[in-house]
Amino acid sequence: MTGSLLSVEDLRVQFKVGPHLYRAVDGINFSVERGRTLGVVGESGCGKSVTSLAIMRLVPQPPGLYAGGRIMFDGSDLLSTPDRQMRKLRGGRIGMIFQEPMTSLNPVYTCGEQIVESLRIHSNLSAQKARARAIELLDLVRLPSPSKRVDDYPHQLSGGQRQRVMIALALANDPDLLIADEPTTALDVTIQAQILDLMRDLQERTGTAILLITHDLGVVAETCDDVVVMYAGGVVEQARTADLFADPQHPYTIGLMAAVPRIDVEADRLATIEGSVPAPWTQLPGCRFASRCPLADEKCRSEPPPLHEISKAHAVACWKAPIEKVLK
Amino acid sequence: MSTIETAATAIQPIEEDAPRRLVWWKALLADRAAAIALIVLLIIVAGSVFAPLIAPHNPFTSSRSVMVPPVWAERGSWEHILGTDGQGRDIFSRILYGTRLTLIIGVVAVGLGGVLGSLLGLLSAFYKSIDPYMMRLMDMLLSFPAILLGLALVAVFGAGAVPVIIALAISTVPDCARIARSIAVGVMEQEFIEAGRAVGLSDGQLFRRYLLRNCISSIMIFISLRFGQVILIGAALSFLGLGASPPTAELGMMAAQGRDYLLFAPHIAVIPSVMIFIIVLAANITGDALRDVLDPRIRN
Repeated sequence: MTGSLLSVEDLRVQFKVGPHLYRAVDGINFSVERGRTLGVVGESGCGKSVTSLAIMRLVPQPPGLYAGGRIMFDGSDLLSTPDRQMRKLRGGRIGMIFQEPMTSLNPVYTCGEQIVESLRIHSNLSAQKARARAIELLDLVRLPSPSKRVDDYPHQLSGGQRQRVMIALALANDPDLLIADEPTTALDVTIQAQILDLMRDLQERTGTAILLITHDLGVVAETCDDVVVMYAGGVVEQARTADLFADPQHPYTIGLMAAVPRIDVEADRLATIEGSVPAPWTQLPGCRFASRCPLADEKCRSEPPPLHEISKAHAVACWKAPIEKVLK
Repeated sequence: MSTIETAATAIQPIEEDAPRRLVWWKALLADRAAAIALIVLLIIVAGSVFAPLIAPHNPFTSSRSVMVPPVWAERGSWEHILGTDGQGRDIFSRILYGTRLTLIIGVVAVGLGGVLGSLLGLLSAFYKSIDPYMMRLMDMLLSFPAILLGLALVAVFGAGAVPVIIALAISTVPDCARIARSIAVGVMEQEFIEAGRAVGLSDGQLFRRYLLRNCISSIMIFISLRFGQVILIGAALSFLGLGASPPTAELGMMAAQGRDYLLFAPHIAVIPSVMIFIIVLAANITGDALRDVLDPRIRN
């Protein structure tokens, strides 16, 4: 996959906590193309946030450990990049938006000061020019009256406004890649839609590639070009968004989609996937999903299925795929 | 990669918001209690700084008029505004000089101990790998009473202000380190620390601008409270004869000396004690108000 802006190859991130070795991310592969949006979906604890932190090299070590793989960003491996250069990339060519707008801005500095700070780390703008640029950025993320807001402290803003400031901060240095870790999870639904709109719009204007981490399939459907579905530290399915929704192949993906509540169907109980995620320190010989999969057989339990393409740009890690032949 | 459009360049002038940074002292003076405390503190500091100019008598030489009561009492005289002590020394002059020494001991001890302690505590929270060692070290220091430490230092260096300052500073370090660490651990868990790293800040910048700035107001409050305590412990050390040696004036020592005359000339002990009380109270109120004013979350 040459030419991809970011490609994660067989990445393994582990955490050593007490006697247990948690395989938070266990050999995943995906890539983000320039100017496109890749969604990473999965339930809590499946390793998606660790993946995003790993790309920024922000996994705390210890207890974290990069146990293998490569993260190629524009031709160079981030895992072997020296710290000094890595700091240049963070906030420079790679921007990041966090989940909690309430706590992800430094409360003792004004929004403007924080954007100015980021600008001046990565370029030698004068204080005045940086401030002007900060106001421009706040205007770009459609914060009302940016020239006043620039001097507001984070606690004077609402959650949605803070998330806009976070986006402005992440975009300050025209990043090639924007990593958004659950950017809308903490916001209410109308604000969610606005923020997603904004991100899509900004992407069109700036050509930034976006890696969107979320557990919300609705968000994926609305914003992503491609999707990666993660389960228990591994990728189980990856496809173009339209293909995934039209033709989900992995039993886990199918389960996830069935679990999305529908307003047009009368139901007493919400659909769930039976069982629970295997403890992260257990190492299973077979498919991670086997214990919860209604289709699992002996092979599934003994041999891990490789991620293989079943049609163009649609890959599944399941022995049963394509699933149509099994369900017949 | 394309540049974000520079269309929105209609930027309003910046002047209107600029003075915002300077108004904190106005806000401080708007709080009446704080304003009074600050003024009292300033008067006390000025009095002790200019003691040689203000003092009407030599604070160290005795006169014949022993145990003269203050001017407002019966038999009082304007010659000795606050009266004289058991040796006939002018109390007002001694208070001026005594406050000087007490303030120096308190400020230097709290300054040294507070800065060192907070720094160790913050580092301990920032670099988790050194945390267990640092905290055990602090526990060791904590188990050492200041008075005992003072005794040991005096035994080595002889009595005087310097060993007292060192003893007080060392006893301030572990308290400050523990407090600073517990505040900092809470701050380190917040997402903005990670966000700061994600913006490309170096460890030094992150430590100073994100951790320190978020902890400083709480630490300041603790240090200002601790200032009062240190002055009291300093007074206790002087009382035991470990501090300043007799001819010099120190508030705690003056109070200790006045103890002998408590029944028939109470002013000798009461006046320096009241002075200690005023200093400690004013320092605490000012510290409290400063925190309110400097912390943007509380200010608005």
